[in-house]
Amino acid sequence: MTLKTIALVQGDPGGIGPELLHKLLSDDEVRNCANLVVIGAPEVFARGEDQMGSRIDVRHAALDAQIDPFDGQVLHLDLLIEGIGDVPVARVSAAGGQSSIEGLRRAFELSQAGQVDGIVFMPFNKESMHLGGNEFADELGFARSFFDLKTPASEFNVANGMWNGRVTSHVAMKDVPDLLTTERIEKSIGLTDRTLKMAGHDRPRIVVAAYNPHAGDGGLMGDEEIRVIRPAVEQAQRKQINCVGPLPADTLWLKVRDGEYDAVVTMYHDQGQIAIKLLGFDRGVSVLAGLPVPMTTPAHGTAFDIAGQAKANLVPAKNAFTMCLNMASNRNATTGVDSGSAD
Amino acid sequence: MSGPDLLPVAVSCGDPSGIGPEIIVAAWATLRHELPFFMIGDPQHVPTGAKTVVIDTPADAPLAMAGGLPVLPVAFPKPARPGQPDPENAPRVVEVIQRAVELVVEGAASALCTAPVSKRELVIHAGFAFPGQTEFLAHLAGGRQAVMMLASDELKVVPVTTHIPVSEVPKALSAELLETTIRITDRALREDFGVAEPRRIAVAGLNPHAGESGVLGNEDAIIIAPVCDRLRAEGISIAGPLSADTMFHAQARAGYDAAIAMYHDQALIPIKTLAFDSGVNVTLGLPFIRTSPDHGTAYDIAGRGQANPDSMIAALRLARKTASARLAN
Repeated sequence: MTLKTIALVQGDPGGIGPELLHKLLSDDEVRNCANLVVIGAPEVFARGEDQMGSRIDVRHAALDAQIDPFDGQVLHLDLLIEGIGDVPVARVSAAGGQSSIEGLRRAFELSQAGQVDGIVFMPFNKESMHLGGNEFADELGFARSFFDLKTPASEFNVANGMWNGRVTSHVAMKDVPDLLTTERIEKSIGLTDRTLKMAGHDRPRIVVAAYNPHAGDGGLMGDEEIRVIRPAVEQAQRKQINCVGPLPADTLWLKVRDGEYDAVVTMYHDQGQIAIKLLGFDRGVSVLAGLPVPMTTPAHGTAFDIAGQAKANLVPAKNAFTMCLNMASNRNATTGVDSGSAD
Repeated sequence: MSGPDLLPVAVSCGDPSGIGPEIIVAAWATLRHELPFFMIGDPQHVPTGAKTVVIDTPADAPLAMAGGLPVLPVAFPKPARPGQPDPENAPRVVEVIQRAVELVVEGAASALCTAPVSKRELVIHAGFAFPGQTEFLAHLAGGRQAVMMLASDELKVVPVTTHIPVSEVPKALSAELLETTIRITDRALREDFGVAEPRRIAVAGLNPHAGESGVLGNEDAIIIAPVCDRLRAEGISIAGPLSADTMFHAQARAGYDAAIAMYHDQALIPIKTLAFDSGVNVTLGLPFIRTSPDHGTAYDIAGRGQANPDSMIAALRLARKTASARLAN
């Protein structure tokens, strides 16, 4: 069996990314189960080594170097970014932002060329990315633009096996009702189904959250459940998607925690984020789904408060890696299913 | 048994075809030696086999507790069929609540604890013109402004708006409503929960990341922040508006005594996720104390002996505790 190739994009140099990448590459399980390509500035890689007090054996190459064939050694594609070695710990920087964007861009290119099967990135800093000239709100916006996507893409949050997909996310509450259409909700349910299948669930059990208190109580407190959400659930069910809802959002999370469902589709940002952060998401994984390549990242941020102290927890980053590899492995196996169920 | 000076708690039976009667009986079995209370309702509606003692007056409840659940009788026209509410019983459900309020107001009971009702049944069959029991009680108390608090050991949280469509929340959220809610909460923390100065209140934003400087909505900056500033200047210790998704984990909760949420699910999602079976609904701002379990009639499991009485028990305990705190004040 040939190993999958996973690109590891270096995170913001001021955060815990360099340290986490070092810890990840020091993990035998990680090293042995995939071909690894690090994309980042050599100075930042060295920073991780300094912070951890040990060297990692990698083969450095130019950013545009041929990456096959793998000889078992970790390949480091060198991004050249002026002044990045001087970025202080726990500070945002334009150089850090540039490295995040350019690292991601190279990873996308390699995936387009079929040379990379999945992408894991260490925590980026949004402010650095903004300083570095990123015109998009986040990584997902950049990815959508790079791949010129017409189909839905969305961030999923995964905590202890519980998945949360969202119909709307970074949107003012007053603008949410107009965005809740049957079509958009059904697409979110479909994307959730495809994404969980790629992550290894044969027939994901999906629960769709209501929008109003008590799921609208039969229309007494809002009619979105009747008008848009229920029709979306029914359409998805007709496409053989295993989903139920709309269910009142306040009580459904414990059902998910207790294993009744694998994923929740929420209508707005805080509906999912409040619960999943109470259910262990700080140790969880974010999955950027709907892209042509599986992409994951640890759920936490750059953690400037503990950056450079060698005490960051590897578990979320390792979970992100495992999730990505899993999705990359299942992706080819389920390609037919994917295209068959797409809209 | 504690505090002979404290009167028994009055418990309204709620919808007799819901889980009310069975969780009240279960609460009696747990609390019979701990705190005196009595149910107002039809003794025939109590599940078969349960021990009851029909009483003439609330004053008889403490002694009756040892022998069975004390019931102050109000006759209903129809029996209670689990899961199948009888329209003819609906007006009596409302009367029981009124009777319970009278007893608390006249000083025959220390506090009121209400079992769940079906608003739908009461609206259709009893001409009930209120969005919920809380609003009805506020009306009975002379049109006071009442607010709903959800309380558990882990979290106390008060939603500023409650049973309205989420699409109407941004418009319903006014500086005046927010300020009143925070003031009522602050006062209740002092009088009913005995929280010492400085009482610390955390206020959630309405929008994701509390609006992120206006990029994700402006109510946080325009409505919520000025109210927080004003009350802070008066000496109330207020944090906010905060990003709602990061204010409910253990470390954050350690920094405040109560949280203010902008809408129903913003309050209910964290409390249910943290304390599913032991959350209690407390009505603040009334001249008397009122608690209730934070679940509904649960028609789907009524009469099967599956209902979990934990929230009812917690509601009774909290009623007793806050009544003591008020007495001490």
